Amino acid sequence: MRKLKPSHGPSSLWLIIPLLVAAVLLAACSRPQPPQLSQGTLLPSAKPVTDFQLTDHRGQPFTLENLKDNWTFAFFGYTHCPDVCPTSMAMLAQVQRTLEQQDGLDKLPQVVFVSVDPERDTTALLAQFVPYFHPDFIGVSGDQHNTLKLSRQLGILYGKTENSAGDNYLVDHSAAIILLDPDGAFRAVFGVPHDPDLIASDFLAIKNYYEATQ
Amino acid sequence: MKRTLLALIISAWSLLATADSTLQVENAWVREAPPSAQMMAAYMTLKNTGPGDALLTQVDSPAFGHVMLHKSEVVDGVARMIHQDEIVIPAQGAVELKPGSFHLMMPAPEKRLVAGDRVDFILTFSTGETTRVQADVRKKP
Repeated sequence: MRKLKPSHGPSSLWLIIPLLVAAVLLAACSRPQPPQLSQGTLLPSAKPVTDFQLTDHRGQPFTLENLKDNWTFAFFGYTHCPDVCPTSMAMLAQVQRTLEQQDGLDKLPQVVFVSVDPERDTTALLAQFVPYFHPDFIGVSGDQHNTLKLSRQLGILYGKTENSAGDNYLVDHSAAIILLDPDGAFRAVFGVPHDPDLIASDFLAIKNYYEATQ
Repeated sequence: MKRTLLALIISAWSLLATADSTLQVENAWVREAPPSAQMMAAYMTLKNTGPGDALLTQVDSPAFGHVMLHKSEVVDGVARMIHQDEIVIPAQGAVELKPGSFHLMMPAPEKRLVAGDRVDFILTFSTGETTRVQADVRKKP
């Protein structure tokens, strides 16, 4: 009887293990990794937004459909706010100017100012306030129900201050800037302080990651 | 010409008024606001070379009906404006009125102020000392 030769013993294993390691490494490298952000926080998974009915500063409906097929930066504020809101809007205009210089960016993100003071922020008021910072910026407002419908989905808080009286009041509001992806899903949040260059570079990193994972 | 002369007189007067004071005001400016803005903000640096803390208690301006002392704060991600009865300028120190922090808040005047305009503020301190400051309207990024 012929003895079986142990020819495929340890020597073939030495060949297989490096091949397996190489295969695993290759798989890991080819799967896009979430970007390391300088300023923003990327949500572990994008959070789809459900529909809401607001009106833009031109008097046109602004709904979930308007968040689709485009990246959106959203900031919640009010026109009677003389310090934080103009500072944030001017900062977003700087982000936009930085992105305008970028080669290969086919479409700029839209910037939406959502009023947390729908009682006073009429469409006419928003039409003068918002495009002052950048002609493409969009101002939106609506009733409390719809404003809350959107703000709550994005983790934005707002409310009149306690000692408010009559028509002369202040509104506390989240200072964060929200980034929504072209599916209309909540993708990232930028807390204060805001740096326009860091927000622009984080946006490009998030956009590249999004496109690589589609 | 008349305006330049007037500006020169005001500047000279304000220099004289602050020459022997321990309180100095630098870099005063007003943020140009959008056409429909109801409120505006002003900023400046207040310096105190004196041995004790100084308190800014009141600000008036011929350009605005009312000037309020305010502070913006972000607590747990929420921005709020808090009315201040006074702003402390520490002894041998300074306090900066700047975006996102201490500032003056004024209702926007009927005739819109634009970059290049100048407005006066009269600052009153707890000692009774007053200082007149000229602020530039600036369009800030």
